[in-house]
Amino acid sequence: MKLLTKSTLLIATLSLFLFFIMGIIFFQVLKNMSLSNLDRELGDLKEIVVDYLGDYDMMESRTIPGIDSIWIQTVGEHVQTEDIYEDTLMLDVKDEQFRTFRYLQFNYEKDKGLYLVKIYKSTTPTDKLVERVTLMITLMVILFLTGVFILNRFIFASLWRDFFEAIEKLKRFENTKEPVILGDQDIQEFDELKQVLEVMTRRLANDYKELKEYTDHTTHELQTPLAVIKSKTELLIQSKNLGAEEMKCLEAINTSVHQLSRLNSTLTLITRIENRQFTEKEEIELTGLLERHLELLHEYIELKGIRIEKDYQDEGQVLEMDQGLADLMIANLLKNAIVHNLEGGTIFLETRPGSLIIRNDGPPLAFNQEELFTRFVRDTRRRGNFGLGLSLVKKVCENYGFNINYSSDKQRHTFTVLLPE
Amino acid sequence: MQILIVEDESSLMDSMVSYLEMEGFRCERAADYCTGAAVLDKHDYLCMLIDLNLPDGDGLDLVKLARENESESGIIIISARNAIEQRVEGLDAGADDYLVKPFHLSELAARVHSVVRRTRLKGGEVLQFDRIKVEPEDRTCYVDDKQIELTQKELDLLLYFMANRNRVVTKEGIADYLWGEYGGDYGSYDFVYTHLKNLRRKLMDAGCPDYVQNIYGIGYKFSLE
Repeated sequence: MKLLTKSTLLIATLSLFLFFIMGIIFFQVLKNMSLSNLDRELGDLKEIVVDYLGDYDMMESRTIPGIDSIWIQTVGEHVQTEDIYEDTLMLDVKDEQFRTFRYLQFNYEKDKGLYLVKIYKSTTPTDKLVERVTLMITLMVILFLTGVFILNRFIFASLWRDFFEAIEKLKRFENTKEPVILGDQDIQEFDELKQVLEVMTRRLANDYKELKEYTDHTTHELQTPLAVIKSKTELLIQSKNLGAEEMKCLEAINTSVHQLSRLNSTLTLITRIENRQFTEKEEIELTGLLERHLELLHEYIELKGIRIEKDYQDEGQVLEMDQGLADLMIANLLKNAIVHNLEGGTIFLETRPGSLIIRNDGPPLAFNQEELFTRFVRDTRRRGNFGLGLSLVKKVCENYGFNINYSSDKQRHTFTVLLPE
Repeated sequence: MQILIVEDESSLMDSMVSYLEMEGFRCERAADYCTGAAVLDKHDYLCMLIDLNLPDGDGLDLVKLARENESESGIIIISARNAIEQRVEGLDAGADDYLVKPFHLSELAARVHSVVRRTRLKGGEVLQFDRIKVEPEDRTCYVDDKQIELTQKELDLLLYFMANRNRVVTKEGIADYLWGEYGGDYGSYDFVYTHLKNLRRKLMDAGCPDYVQNIYGIGYKFSLE
C-alpha cells in the first residue's frame, strides 16, 4: 500500500470515528439543553396557569395563551405532590399526525377540590432547531474533511518529494552503480537520510568498482602465464626428439594447465555473477532454450545412450534474464544430468507454470546432499571435474530470485527450479 | 605472407611466432601500442593479431586505427577478457575474430587460416592435402576428385587438421575448437574419439592412407608420414 493511501485511510478512519463520537455527544448536549429550556418555560407557564385558575372557573380555563394544550382532572385524594415533566405523543387535529409534546403535571387545590393539571408545549420547534443545527454541523464536517484530504495530498506531495526522489535514484543504483546524491534538504530527517545514502552508495560503488577491477586484473594476470605455459607445451610437443617418458610428462602438464584455465574462467564467472555484473534482461522462452541446449548436447546424449523424455506442460513459459546466464544455467543442469547419468539411462524434462523439473537416473550421491550446491564438492572418482557446475547454477538462480531444490529417490535425482510469478 | 602480432608478453609472442612460422607465415612483432601503430600500415598484412591489454594503450584503438586506414587485413583480437560485451565491442570495432587467452596454438593457426580465407580469398580457396581437396565455402570434400560425405563436425575436424598439418594437436585443442565452451568440462574426450574414428574410416574407405597418428595419448598428428 502506498504511503499516501495508507495515511489518507488512517486519517479518514480516525477522523470519521472521532467526528461520529463528537457528533453523538454534541447532539445529546443540544437535545438536553433544549429540553431544559422547554422545562424552564413550562415552569414559568405553571405560575401563569395557577394565577389564572385562581381567578377563573375551572372549565373556562381551557385556553390560556402561551400553552398549546391544558388538561384538568378532578382527583379524589392527594396522589402526588411533586411536579412531573414528561414527553408524550398527541394527535394533531389539523393534519392528523402524532407529534411529540412536553408536559408538566402538577396538583392544584381550589375550593376544597383537588385537581390534577397537565400543561403541554409542543417540542416540534425545538426539534426542528436541533435538526437544522445538526445538519449544518455535519455539512461543515464533510467540507472540512474534504478540505483536509485535498490539503493532505498537496502537503504530502511537497513534503515527501525528496523521499520519492531518493527511492527513484536508489532503484537506478542497481544498474548505474553511481553514488546516490540528492539535492539540498530543508527537512532534517531527509537531510540525514541524504547523507547516509550518499556515504553508503559511495562505498558500495567504490567496492563494486574495486572488486570488478580486482577480478579483471586477476583474470588477466592468471590468464597470461597460463597462456604462456599452454603455448610452450604445445610447441614442445612438436619436437621430434622426445621419447615416450617426456611425452607423458608433457601430457600431464598439458592436461593440468587445461584444467587450471577452465577453473580460472569458471571462478571468474562465479565472481562476476556475485558482483551482479549481468544486468541485462531479455525475454527467453524456456522450451526453446531447453531444445537448443539438447541439440547442442546431442552428441553427449547419444554417446551415453541416454533417453530424453519431455513433458512440456507450459509451452509459453518465459524467463526474464541475461541470455548468457540463462544458457549457463540450462547447460549446466543438462550437463549434470548427462554426466552423472547411467549408461542408457533417462533424463526427464518437465515444465509447469512456475517451475522447471529435470530428473535423471544415476548412482546415489557420493557426498552429503546438503553440500550438492557447494563449490568444489564433487564425486572424486571422476577426473577433470571441479564440482563448480551446480554452484554456478545456484548462483544464477540466486541472482534472479529463483529457488532451486534437489531431491533423490535411490537412483533418481530431481532438480526443481521454482520461477517467480 | 606477413602477419603482424601486437602482444606485450614476450614468451607468448615467441610461441605464437614459432608456431606460425612453422606454418609458413612470416611474422612482424610489436610489443606495445606505439610500435603497433607505427608498423600498422607498413605492409599489407595478411592478418593482424592484436592483444587488448597493452602497456601503453588499448588494443581496441589499434583495431579502429587499422580500419580507419582502410586496411583489408584480417584482424584477430587475442585477449584475456572474456565478457560477451568485450567480444561484441571488439567485433564492432572491426575485428574478424576474438580469441580468449589462454588458447591453443593449433586453434590460433586454424583461426588465422580461416580469417585469411574469408578476408583475402573471399572463401573461394580450395585446400589441398595429398589426395584430399576441401572447398571450405561449399563445405565439400573430395578424395581423388570423388566427393565424400562428411558431417559438419567431421569437416571442421578435417579443416582443423589441415590447418595444423604435420603438427601434434592436443585432444583438448580439438574439443575446444569443435565445441567451444561445451568441450572439455566432461573429463572425457570420448566424443573427440568418435568423430575422429568416423573421419578416419571415411577417408580410408575412399582410398586414403591413414593420415592420423596417435601421439602418446596427448593428441594427434595429421601428416603424410
